[in-house]
Amino acid sequence: MKILSSYSIKGGVGKTALAVNLAFALREAGRRTLLLDMDPQGAATFYFRVASAEKFRMRDSDSLTEGLRRNIRESDFPGLDIIPSNLGYRHFDILLDGMAKRRRQLRKVLEEFKPDYDVILMDCPPNITLLSENVFRASDALLVPVIPTVLSRRTLEQLADFFRDEDLPVKKLRPFFSMVQKRNRMHREIMDDLPESYPGFLKTVIPFSAEVEKMGVHRMPLLAYSHASAAAIAYRSLCVEILSLAGP
Amino acid sequence: MHDKDSGRLTLPGDLGPECLREEWDVDIHSQESNVLAFWDTFEWGLWFGGHLLYSADGVYCLCTRDGGWLGTVLCEEPAGTMRRFWRDFETRGMRARLEGMLGLRGLAQVAEGTFTLRRCDVRNSDGKIVCRLEWSSVSAKRRDEDLLHSCRVLPLYGYEAEAARVVEHLIRHGASPSGDGPVEILLRHAGHVPRKYTLRPVFGLEMDTPAREAVGRIVRAILEIAECNVPGIVSDLDTEFLHDYRICLRKVRSVLNLVKDVYPAEEVRRLRGILGDLARQTNRLRDLDVYLMSRDEYLEMLPPVLRPALDTMFRDLSLERDREVRQATSKMHVASTRRLFREVLDYFSTETTHEPSPAADLPVGSLAFRSIYKRYRKIRGIASGIGDETTDEGVHRLRIECKKLRYLMEFFSELIPTEEVGGMLKQLRRLQNRLGEFNDARVQQRSLMNYWEQKRSGTKVALGVGGLIAVLYRNQQQTRGLIYKSLEGFCGGSTAASFKHAFKLPVLPP
Repeated sequence: MKILSSYSIKGGVGKTALAVNLAFALREAGRRTLLLDMDPQGAATFYFRVASAEKFRMRDSDSLTEGLRRNIRESDFPGLDIIPSNLGYRHFDILLDGMAKRRRQLRKVLEEFKPDYDVILMDCPPNITLLSENVFRASDALLVPVIPTVLSRRTLEQLADFFRDEDLPVKKLRPFFSMVQKRNRMHREIMDDLPESYPGFLKTVIPFSAEVEKMGVHRMPLLAYSHASAAAIAYRSLCVEILSLAGP
Repeated sequence: MHDKDSGRLTLPGDLGPECLREEWDVDIHSQESNVLAFWDTFEWGLWFGGHLLYSADGVYCLCTRDGGWLGTVLCEEPAGTMRRFWRDFETRGMRARLEGMLGLRGLAQVAEGTFTLRRCDVRNSDGKIVCRLEWSSVSAKRRDEDLLHSCRVLPLYGYEAEAARVVEHLIRHGASPSGDGPVEILLRHAGHVPRKYTLRPVFGLEMDTPAREAVGRIVRAILEIAECNVPGIVSDLDTEFLHDYRICLRKVRSVLNLVKDVYPAEEVRRLRGILGDLARQTNRLRDLDVYLMSRDEYLEMLPPVLRPALDTMFRDLSLERDREVRQATSKMHVASTRRLFREVLDYFSTETTHEPSPAADLPVGSLAFRSIYKRYRKIRGIASGIGDETTDEGVHRLRIECKKLRYLMEFFSELIPTEEVGGMLKQLRRLQNRLGEFNDARVQQRSLMNYWEQKRSGTKVALGVGGLIAVLYRNQQQTRGLIYKSLEGFCGGSTAASFKHAFKLPVLPP
């Protein structure tokens, strides 16, 4: 089983779009997939038309595991399940802070789902917290959408620095360009430079697409309603690239 | 990913998924329709093995059987040529699964129907699918009338409560959670009810059942089995129909001979004669079946260089078999044959009155036990004289006696306590298997010699046939040693004590 995360310190970069569409593409590729919406905003949950998670008490890792398991919902797409978000997830840090090995608890919890899924994909909130550190340690790869702007480059550097400071393997970072507008000269310049500094930079580029924004109207992944759009094709390519890195 | 507990409902004919729109949004997909033909053997090997085999759209599908419903598809295979036996299937998965359930039996079509399916998605107020439905109907292939409407409710994981509400809603509209499945209904429509087949029916005997009544029940039950095998012989679906028919005739002759003075002796002689004539009609056909079934075994006995020589022989035997089947079929169809069979059946009918006989009203238990014990002692007597100098004919006589004993123990097994009979029958079967192998080898050698003498078809065939006879002779001699060993087990200490304990009765008063 592989654990992947869609993560960025910065919001509005296409994190949830990635999580939702990559989950769909993984399921199309025959992988039993669980999408875990960790973001209290619950956008991924909304896209899949699932109600918010039922509340549960988070006393320890066992009760956390049990609570998450009880909230698994089969999506409309066989082979893809989702654990919806809940506003209560904003208390994750408080819970984790009270535990031993507080930075490793999430990995332990997710291992319990190993028999049932080939891939767990987390849609993470845009911040650096104790929960984020758990995500960093739990994930086999951190997929980081990067809009090719100066600010995004700075944000990516901050994340890489954090990894080095915390002795986390930088090779886990898998940035990729998101919401790219090829006519934008700055985008083109940054796309030429930035990958050189990050050996793990993925080659697939996700173009900006108004179609992606319509996910909120359709309330389903882009790949389900706009099969042949440029962005849909790009997400599928991204899935293929990620699978080739992760092995079978 | 998730083991889904789906509910099945039978529906009134006029109920459609539209009724759910009172509470949910329902997407109804386009209708799919397929004609399915179902296959099984005379013994319902697939049905009682928990499976169904059907063909549709040029594909054979093997699935599990969920009551009278189609279950999970296990394997599929494109239908090419006719598939009758498990060996006719081409994929390993099919062959491996079918071999145990079919054995030597051939497949025949048992039902055919048109299955119509509409898939539906039931959505909640957020537009989320909460369960899926398979709305289906079944009709017999050439009729318009639907035999069954049903619905399978497939909850999505995490939405089981919602799916349960859908089920309740349908029940309020006339659906029922129970009922026969479509395959059961199609079978019934075609006049079939799967029943377990056995050559050893229960006769309902007690120790004090009058002997004539007991023997009458045995004969009627076994003749009924013989009769139900006749259509299979005529259609030549597989070799087991003839095999079982002949066993039945042999058993009836045997019970009339072994339990004496129950019916008038003259009549018994006459009827045994009729049954013997009926059996003789198919002697050669059965021999040919056995040889042809042994083909692979025979070929393996010879070095590869001699094997092609046997192809000629088997081709000849196969052609002869085709002729014998036609002859046997026409003999069985002839009015005189049917009349003879009917004559035997009518004699043993419960409505027929018979002349008195000395043992007719005696309790069958004591008669049977005396007969069993007498047979056993006779076998022990013969066995004590069996040695290397005993002729093949002498060993064959022993085999006949063992067969009589086994038949007696089978006919009256209901009267023998289970804990007693198990060990005795096990020893007897072991001995009989050895004797059977010995006798088969003897008969096969003779038959091969006859073939050669008749055909004289060239040196290569002579080499092949001769090689086979030599191997069979060697096997036969090796079996002798095994027979001696089995005789020790059967006639010795603990088995003899068991027979004595179970069957030795006080002498009857004059």
